[in-house]
Amino acid sequence: MRRTQRIAMVAAGTAAVLALASCSSDASGDADPSDGSPAAEDAEGVGPITFASGKDLTGAMPQLIEMWNEMHPEQEVTFLELSASPDDQRTSFVQDFQAQSGNYDVVWGDVVWTSEFAARGWLEPLDAEAVAGDDILPAAIESATYDGQVWAAPFMTNAALLFYRSDLIDTPPTTWAELREDCAIAEENDMQCYAGQFAQYEGLTVNAAEAITSAGGSFLSEDGTSVAVDSPEAREGLQNLVDMFDEGQIDPAAITFQEQESANAFLDGSTLFLRNWPYVYTAASEEGSEIAGKFDMTVLPGIDGPGSSSLGGINLGVSAFSENKQTAKDWVEWMQSDEAQRVLVSVMNQASVRTDLYTDPEMVEVSPYLPNLQESLMNAVPRPRTPNYNAVSLAIQQNAYAALQGDVSVDEAITNMAADLELAIAE
Amino acid sequence: MSLITSLTKRQPTTTSSGPVRDIREKDGRLAFWLVVPSLIVLTIVIAFPVVWSFVRSLYGDGIGATPFVGGDNYANALWGNGSAEFWDAARFTYFFTAVSVVLEVLIGVGMALVANRAFRGRGLLRASVLVPWAIPTAVAAVLWKWAFDPNGIVNAVTGWDLIWTGAEGPSTVAIIVADVWKTAPFVALLVLAGLQIIPEDVYEAARLDGATAWQQFVRITLPLVRPALLVAILFRLLDALRMYDLPAIMTGGANGTTTLSVLVVQSSLSQLKPGYGGALATLTFLLIFITAFLFVRMLNVNAVEQAGVRTPRKKDSE
Repeated sequence: MRRTQRIAMVAAGTAAVLALASCSSDASGDADPSDGSPAAEDAEGVGPITFASGKDLTGAMPQLIEMWNEMHPEQEVTFLELSASPDDQRTSFVQDFQAQSGNYDVVWGDVVWTSEFAARGWLEPLDAEAVAGDDILPAAIESATYDGQVWAAPFMTNAALLFYRSDLIDTPPTTWAELREDCAIAEENDMQCYAGQFAQYEGLTVNAAEAITSAGGSFLSEDGTSVAVDSPEAREGLQNLVDMFDEGQIDPAAITFQEQESANAFLDGSTLFLRNWPYVYTAASEEGSEIAGKFDMTVLPGIDGPGSSSLGGINLGVSAFSENKQTAKDWVEWMQSDEAQRVLVSVMNQASVRTDLYTDPEMVEVSPYLPNLQESLMNAVPRPRTPNYNAVSLAIQQNAYAALQGDVSVDEAITNMAADLELAIAE
Repeated sequence: MSLITSLTKRQPTTTSSGPVRDIREKDGRLAFWLVVPSLIVLTIVIAFPVVWSFVRSLYGDGIGATPFVGGDNYANALWGNGSAEFWDAARFTYFFTAVSVVLEVLIGVGMALVANRAFRGRGLLRASVLVPWAIPTAVAAVLWKWAFDPNGIVNAVTGWDLIWTGAEGPSTVAIIVADVWKTAPFVALLVLAGLQIIPEDVYEAARLDGATAWQQFVRITLPLVRPALLVAILFRLLDALRMYDLPAIMTGGANGTTTLSVLVVQSSLSQLKPGYGGALATLTFLLIFITAFLFVRMLNVNAVEQAGVRTPRKKDSE
C-alpha cells in the first residue's frame, strides 16, 4: 500500500510538487526544509508514516495529528498508541528495530532511551539546525544528543517541582536544611513531612540522581565513558536522603511510593512537601480536591541553594528503517513548531520544549506553574547519557535503595554503586 | 485390602486375539495422525524458542556486534559478575516455592476434606473456593498489592502499621500469602477429585473394625488420594519455580524478591541482553527440569498413570 503510493508519487512528479506546494503554504512559523528544492529529489522518502507512541493519557495527540494530516493529505501520519508502561513501549520499539521492519517510522521515547537507540544504529541522524535550534531548551537538546550528533527531536520536557502547603508554609525552603526545619510544622499538624518516589524502580534513580546532583555529585563523566560517582559530594547527597528517612522526615511509607502513591499522599492532605512532576498541579487544583487553593510550587531544594531536577520528557526519533524518512523528519520538526507546542501546553498540559512559551502570558494563565518549571528546567540535569542506560539505572536504584533501607552504609553504597556502574558501562 | 485391590480392576484385560489387534493398530495410526498437528504446534511454539534461546545464549550482547562467546554468559551467571544476582534469585525462588507449596498442600487438603463432606451449601462452598483460582495471577497481584499498601486493608484489619512491600521479610510474606490464596484452591480441586473416587464402603468397613478418624485419614484417605495429591504438588512445584507475576507486580523484584523468571525478563528485555538473558533462561529451565525430575523419581510419580489409569503391569504385581 505504502510502496505503491510512493511509486505513484515518484512517477507522477507533478503530484509531489502539488503536495509540497500545499504543505509549504500551510506550514506556519517553522521553515519547511523541503521548500524550494527540486521536487523529484524530495519525493524520495515522502509518503504516509506511522507514529508509535506510548499511551496518550491526555487524549489530545489525535488532535495534533489531524492538524498535520489536513495540511499534508499525501503524507498522512497514522497514530499507533502502545502500552502505558514505558517498559512495554520500549520492548515494542526494540522488537521493531531488531526486526528492521520500519513499521514504526517515528517512535516517541523517554529522553534516556535516545543514546541507546542511537548507539545501536536504530535512529536516523537529524539536522541540528532544524530540531535543536536556539528556540529549543538546551537541556532537552542535550538529552537528544549522543556522540556529538542530534538523534531525536525534543518534543515534551519535564522537570520536578517541590509542591508544598502554602496554607502552612510562608516562605518555601530553598535548601534541604530549611526543608528539614520546616518538618516541625508537619509534626505540629500531625502530618508527614516529605514524600518522593523511593520504591526500587526508575523513579528512585530520578530521586537519587536529584539528591546527588543537587549536592554537586554526578554518576558518569560528561561523555558517559567513565564512572564519577565516587565523590564526597555524591556521598553528601545520598546521606541527606538516608538521614531524612532515619529521622522520619521522609514518610516511611515512601519506600514503596511510585509517582501516583506519593501524589495521593499529598492530595489527601497528609503530607507537607511533595517532590513530583508538574502534572500533580492539575489534580491538586481540581474542584473537590482536599488541598485546592492551599498549595503552591517551587523548585527543588539543594545543599546551599536551589537544587537541580532530573530531566524527564519525550524525544521523537526517526527510525533508521523507515521508508519515508523525509516525511518523518518534516513531521517531527512540525511537532516542535509554535503551533503544535501551543496545543501541547494548553490542551495536553505538558511542558513545551520551546523556551518562548514559558513566559507567554496566554500559556502562563493556563498553567501557572510554568515560571517555576522553567527555573527547574534551567537547572535540570539529564540522567546519565549512555547506551547502557538501563543497566546504569539498575546499578543506581539497587545501591541507593540498599542505603535507604539501612542495609549498607552510605559509604559502602556509593562504593558499590561505582563498582556496579563500572560493570554497567563496560559493555 | 481386597476391597482396594478390586477397585483398581476397572480396566478389563484384553486378550491379544486377531481382530482386537487390528482395531488397536488402526486406533494407533489414527491417534498418531490426530496428535501430529499438536506436535507441530508444540514444536513451533515451544521447541523453537527454547532452542533459539539456547543458541542465542552462546553469543555476546555488544552493541552492533554479537560475537560467539561460547559458555561465557553461563560462566558469568554462575560464578562471574552476575553470580550474586543469580544465586540470590535462585535462593529466593526455592525458598518461596518450598514455603508456599507446603502451605498450599496443607490448606488445600483441608479445604478438600471439608468440601467432600455432605452438608447444605456444599455446592456454593465448592464454587466459592474456586474464585481465587479463576482470577488471573496478574490481577490477583494487583489486588494484594493494594491490600498490603501501608494504608491497605491488611493493616486496617490487623491494626498494624507495617510497610509490607518496603522490607525483605514482609515482602516475602506478602508474596507467599498472595500465592497461597490463589493456588490452594487448585490443590483442593485436584485432591477433591481424588477424594470423590474413594467409595464410602471403605470407610464403613474401617469404622466397623474400630478405626479412629485419624487412622481412617492416615490409612485410607491419604494412600488413596496420594496419586492426585502428588500430581497437584508436581504442578504447583513447576508453577512456583517459574513465578513471575506476583513479585514483578507487588515489589518489582525489590527487597530480595527477585525470582529467576524476573531476572530473566530484566536481563533480556529491560537491559537488552538477549544472550545473557538466554543463558539465565536456560539455567532456569535446567533447574526446574532437574527439580521436577528428582521429585518424580523420588516419589515415583507418574502423572499419567496416577491420574486414574493403572497399567496392567502394576496390577499384576499386586
